[in-house]
Amino acid sequence: MSLRMGHLRDVVVHISLSEVAAAHRFTVLGALWPLARQLAQLGVLVFVFSSVVDLGIPDYPSFVFVGLLVWGWFASGIAAATGAVLDRRHLVFQPAFPDTMLPLIAITVALIDLLLALPVLLVIVTVSGDLRPAVLIAVPLLGIQALLMVGLGWLCCAAAVYLRDVRNIVGVGLLLLFYMTPVFYEVGRAPEAARWVLYLNPMTTLVEAHRAIFLRQPAPSALALVLVTAASLLTAVVGLLVFRRLQPGFVDEL
Amino acid sequence: MTSGAIQLRSVFKAYPRWPAGGRTIHAIAARRAPLALRRTEPVYALSDVSLDVGRGEMVGIIGANGAGKSTLLRLVAGLGQPTRGGIDVHGRVAAVLGLGQTLDPQLTGRENAVTAAVVAGTGRRGARSLVPGALAFAELEHVADAPVRTYSDGMRLRLAFGVIAQLEFDALLLDEVLAVGDLAFQSRCMAHVQERRASGVTVLFASHDLSQVAAVCDRALWLSEGAANASGQAGEVVAAYQEQARAKALERTPPPTGDGGELRLRDNRVGTQEATIDRVSVAAPAEPGAGMTITVDLHPHRAGIVDPIVAVAVHRESDGVTCFETATRDEGVRAGPLSGPLTVQLGIERLDLAPGSYRIDVGLYRNDWDEVYDFHWRAYRIEVPGPPVTGLLVPPVTWRVLPG
Repeated sequence: MSLRMGHLRDVVVHISLSEVAAAHRFTVLGALWPLARQLAQLGVLVFVFSSVVDLGIPDYPSFVFVGLLVWGWFASGIAAATGAVLDRRHLVFQPAFPDTMLPLIAITVALIDLLLALPVLLVIVTVSGDLRPAVLIAVPLLGIQALLMVGLGWLCCAAAVYLRDVRNIVGVGLLLLFYMTPVFYEVGRAPEAARWVLYLNPMTTLVEAHRAIFLRQPAPSALALVLVTAASLLTAVVGLLVFRRLQPGFVDEL
Repeated sequence: MTSGAIQLRSVFKAYPRWPAGGRTIHAIAARRAPLALRRTEPVYALSDVSLDVGRGEMVGIIGANGAGKSTLLRLVAGLGQPTRGGIDVHGRVAAVLGLGQTLDPQLTGRENAVTAAVVAGTGRRGARSLVPGALAFAELEHVADAPVRTYSDGMRLRLAFGVIAQLEFDALLLDEVLAVGDLAFQSRCMAHVQERRASGVTVLFASHDLSQVAAVCDRALWLSEGAANASGQAGEVVAAYQEQARAKALERTPPPTGDGGELRLRDNRVGTQEATIDRVSVAAPAEPGAGMTITVDLHPHRAGIVDPIVAVAVHRESDGVTCFETATRDEGVRAGPLSGPLTVQLGIERLDLAPGSYRIDVGLYRNDWDEVYDFHWRAYRIEVPGPPVTGLLVPPVTWRVLPG
């Protein structure tokens, strides 16, 4: 059993690293591209919401950057995970390959992009004078997010094999969800009556939790965190069950 | 149960088929929705196929394109499930089913070899340690660090097979892809497969190369439109298949028109005549050690014929023994699109056949061997001059007496 788990880990680590290597091979900036993309988006958001429309949030660049990294992993990871089976048809057709790992690979590739941007975040946070040991809490927070993403990934990628529209639906969903996640604003700015809607989105709580440890923003309530953790765990379990149920038909539908 | 044994018990495999036009909004709106969304009659890719393969046996699977060969191999590999019936495979399975589609064109041969091994079930460390052996088997060490996009199809296949050759497994599934490799590599693969069989590995081998199936397999299964048409000793099944192919070609041969000289349709000339061999000139050897040149003029009678195969076989006239066969495809020669008259020439540097009379077959086939366009049976005769000798060959020989 441990041998088998070891092999699953090897598959995820190796294929993810290969895909990252292949994506950046023969480009001049190489692995700096994901960072460049994140910084460009950061630049636009900071310009618009501090110069054009001033939201009056202190330390706005680091405020946005934390949100952008956490959301960026979620959005690019879910988008890639939804196509994980469709895009890796060749792996599905390998007898010994564990298909269950496909969305994990997509999410790991997106995580590597996030990790490449992490040093920049740490520099920004250090400059604004607030790097504390508490930042280590980010690791379990990312773990909860990983559970949520893997669960959604299993659901979406298996469904997308049978109904290709799922990819487009997820694309539109992520676009809407970006505005329902406090990436460039504070939940406190939303009308009180509408806040509960934002908290239906587990990413809201997760983004706020990261801001609490990196930027001394008010932390979300313990109850919210427990609920998000439970919801993520439930999503992962349901996702795996659905994936397992749909998996036998993949070869016929691809 | 012995590891490596494979059993198929009355296997059916149906593929779901959606109405033409698919499940688009347009199709759903155009027809009544329930009709457009309902699956139509399934297509059976395999119906009622049973097969029992013992440890260390090699079974060839033959049949025309679309007969279900690949479907059968996939099911044995555990890809998808049979609609009905059961499949038991004991032990670890390795497969060469595709032409290295798992290879990433941007990454190097070395990196891809590691990935291929990991994908086939090896740990990362183990995968890295078997790469040198895989590259050596594939004879790709000199390009190991070049991106795979610069590799030819044959090189990709060699890399894929090279990795498989390093793995431990009990059953090996080979699809037709081996045909992409050159002859030297194919024979190296076959030698490796035989070595593995000696140690108890079971092999399922789908192929269009009938003579190879007859030569290397113990048994063969002939699939025709998903059903097992014949199963048994490889040579017998191959002979039955060839007999049927000949009958089919004869059936599709147009009736004789009266001209054509020595060639008479449905007699010594068969084929669909979609493309024809219009002229064959044979420059016969002046002595046993001389060469021979055969020039074949081809003529298409419809558009869209690409890379047809030209084959030549030489038989001894007295008893019909086949001296040798050769085909453009075996030598990796492609004729290209046959858009107008085309001449193909076969040069044989030394014929070395014993003096006597020989008959030559010249054939023109579709690029997958599945259709005979034109086949001239024993239509050309050559005479190798010289004093009669015993045996078939007069190769150049040197006898020496070595001092004790």
